[in-house]
Amino acid sequence: MTEETPNEPFDEAEYRRRQRSRANLMAWMLGGLAILFFFITIAKMQIFS
Amino acid sequence: MAQSLTHGETALPADWRDLFALTKPRVMSLVVFTALCGLLAAPINVPPVLAFSSILAIALGAGASGALNQWYEAGLDAKMKRTAGRPLPAGRLDPQTALQFGVGLAAFSLFLMLFASNWQATLLLAVSILFYVFVYTMWLKPRTPQNIVIGGAAGAFPPLIGWVAATGSIAPLPVMLFLLIFLWTPPHFWALALFMRSDYAAAGIPMMPVVAGEKSTRRQILFYAVIMAVGAIAPWPLGYTGALYGWTAVLLSAVFVLLSVQVGTRTTGEGDLMRPEKRLFAYSIAYLFILFGAVVADHRWPL
Repeated sequence: MTEETPNEPFDEAEYRRRQRSRANLMAWMLGGLAILFFFITIAKMQIFS
Repeated sequence: MAQSLTHGETALPADWRDLFALTKPRVMSLVVFTALCGLLAAPINVPPVLAFSSILAIALGAGASGALNQWYEAGLDAKMKRTAGRPLPAGRLDPQTALQFGVGLAAFSLFLMLFASNWQATLLLAVSILFYVFVYTMWLKPRTPQNIVIGGAAGAFPPLIGWVAATGSIAPLPVMLFLLIFLWTPPHFWALALFMRSDYAAAGIPMMPVVAGEKSTRRQILFYAVIMAVGAIAPWPLGYTGALYGWTAVLLSAVFVLLSVQVGTRTTGEGDLMRPEKRLFAYSIAYLFILFGAVVADHRWPL
């Protein structure tokens, strides 16, 4: 999808594909960060206790 | 400049692969490795999850710097063969998306560093991002052939940040590792600039071979290689590292200087394949990887 121009018909399938792949990636990253932040908190509690 | 991806009223969302490419993943690998070595060489054992998070924060900070660099230089990148295929000059990404991504990633990397380690490492990470974007990319690079000499400091921060993330303070060894990368940058980049000279000239970037000519650049590569070799070996006689690192540094630096002598003393004609320059460039990357690996190995398993 590199050389698209405004004159080309809008590719809805590509729009949905990109939207879906970004949403999936964002969900995985947020899930990963939640887990990471949980373990950071536990590690910090152990250091300061 | 980048073309818009707008189709009438609707814009295509950026592909995540283009956003990833914006972070300069190959440069990031060296940043991550040197930062990890700085952290592992520190005298304090950090819990693995905090070590991982600190390195992740440094990687994200480096990615943010790369993204903001590509956002600012999209016009220049379009003029160079080596960079014309990047997401912005190729028109696959909208500049505003790149800017928002870069700023957001920078802010998140600082937040993560502050949460996982300490304010000292966060401050250093912030300084390195700001230095790379404002001092190197915006100020030095388009103005002076000394751009990568001074700008090299930005790439030298990771081992220092890794160490400070572990200890909360600065010590002589990480400062020496900072100096090592700082002195390594000119011969590394000028070797690249020698065989990419026409690209830099086309983009109007005042790299040393474009401004001062090949002969002067070759002399300066040799000059910096010798100083860098001294800087690389120095931690051993000064007592900050042991013999394992010391001998590795001596052997690897001797080869580095030999390759630099080859590059520094030769003259080229039309159609030269620039093999010694390409060899020096490739070797310089392996040199830094092995030397930093030796710092950690020396700390963990001293001879």
